[in-house]
Amino acid sequence: MTPEQQTEKAPFDTDAVVDEITRFVAEQTRTTPDVDQDLFTTGIANSMFAMQLVVFLEQAYRVTVAGPDLQLSNFRTIKSMAALVGRLQAESAADSDV
Amino acid sequence: MSDGHFAEHEATWRLVKENAGGWDIAGEIPRTVLSGLGAAGVLCAEVRKEHGGLGLGSQESGKLTAHVGSLCSSLRSVMTSQGMAAWTVQRLGTREQRAAFLPQLTGGRLAAVAFSEPDAGSDLGAMTTQLRLDGDTVIVDGSKTWITAAAYADLIVVIGTAGDTAAAVVVPTDAQGVRIEKVPHPMGCRAAGHARVQLEGVRLPAANVLGGTGLSLPFLVTTALAYGRMSVAWGCVGILRGCLGAVTEHARSRRQFGKPIAEHQLVARRIAELYAAERTATAVCQQASECWESGSPDQVIATVLAKHVGATEAVRGAASALQIMASAGASDGHVVARAYRDAKLMEIIEGSSEICQLELARHALATGHGTARQEEAQ
Ligand SMILES: Cc1cc2nc3c(=O)[nH]c(=O)nc-3n(C[C@H](O)[C@H](O)[C@H](O)COP(=O)(O)OP(=O)(O)OC[C@H]3O[C@@H](n4cnc5c(N)ncnc54)[C@H](O)[C@@H]3O)c2cc1C
Repeated sequence: MTPEQQTEKAPFDTDAVVDEITRFVAEQTRTTPDVDQDLFTTGIANSMFAMQLVVFLEQAYRVTVAGPDLQLSNFRTIKSMAALVGRLQAESAADSDV
Repeated sequence: MSDGHFAEHEATWRLVKENAGGWDIAGEIPRTVLSGLGAAGVLCAEVRKEHGGLGLGSQESGKLTAHVGSLCSSLRSVMTSQGMAAWTVQRLGTREQRAAFLPQLTGGRLAAVAFSEPDAGSDLGAMTTQLRLDGDTVIVDGSKTWITAAAYADLIVVIGTAGDTAAAVVVPTDAQGVRIEKVPHPMGCRAAGHARVQLEGVRLPAANVLGGTGLSLPFLVTTALAYGRMSVAWGCVGILRGCLGAVTEHARSRRQFGKPIAEHQLVARRIAELYAAERTATAVCQQASECWESGSPDQVIATVLAKHVGATEAVRGAASALQIMASAGASDGHVVARAYRDAKLMEIIEGSSEICQLELARHALATGHGTARQEEAQ
């Protein structure tokens, strides 16, 4: 990530992120899940799709989903993914402050 | 590419080309060759420069992999394992773990990655290798089989279960309780050092568990395999290139019925098909590598596609190449004889053709239009 991208980053907008993730899931699965719906138990996602979600979040929000965060629980629902993105962006902002 | 990696190691590549047949027959590559290439960063070329790697992108790394694959699939297999180990450390490890392990992998130490077990092949969910945390140590028990490069490895990234979750742990092969037995007489990639790895009460620092326990097994496996699949796919491009090189030379010079065999149309058709196979495999690999470089989520499926198409084309292409060579390629050690045996194994490893097909079908059924995202984006 370039310094410009970090400093110019807009404040985190959970609703917008939820919408974007929902759109991605819909595009890839032809299903529009509720934000709280478990994507794995309802058969929408498997581990391959989870991997796509990881790469999507990384690309769209310029975060890195590293080892300890590669847990299905972080990808179970659209809401949990949005929360993950929020946390990772906050962490990387804090990182670049020091 | 800066042709640097080819030019810089030209002497090595010549040595590989000249010796690949002998290594195949002996079932072994001299360790000095492997550790030399390892220390030059070539075996895991995508590791970043800060960790002593070459920092290549997926395309450049793919070209290098194909080049090695065209000369010696055993060496390319060792490269796949080393690269996959490095990628797993990079992807799952903490910053400290990356700093601790990656410089070893670019410094001449060799690595393997162990998923498969006697009773868990395609169905890795059935694996029983266990990691138990005990204070600041971890105890590993289990049995892994057919682990490429394990016979050479200093470090093995072992995937196991940890209670209800999964984890990957870096196991030094000289740790107490580790036993490595070479697979006798593999039919292909014969010098890749496939081995069975027995782990009995192996006690290691908990800091060797990459990113800690608590990962999901399918997630972990999919992550680690992603790199391996790209590497195998480019390796298959290499197999096809090796065949094309041998076959075009032979078909021009070998004369039967008063003319070069290339002028018999049935032979020429095989050459056309082999050329088409090489171009097809290259195109799917390039497309997948492009997705990796741009960070597109399409990389996940593009990788499976590249592996599947690469392996399928390599098997067909190598069989056709051997038909053209006939007796001239029918001795063990010959580049086309090796291709014929090595290619078949590429349909089995890193997700067999059937497992890849299931994933591709699932994707096609889910999206209904596999390439929609890219087309919309253009
Ligand atoms: C040369 C070589 C190198 C290897 N290197 C490594 C390594 O470095 N690390 C490692 O961990 N492992 C390695 N392996 C092991 C490899 O990953 C497994 O061989 C592979 O996953 C297939 O498992 P299996 O051989 O047990 O076959 P099985 O899983 O028993 O499969 C047998 C057949 O059934 C098919 N099949 C299975 N399940 C299904 C299904 N659900 N639907 C349709 N068909 C199915 C398979 O496609 C296959 O054709 C290596 C193997 C070889 C041969």
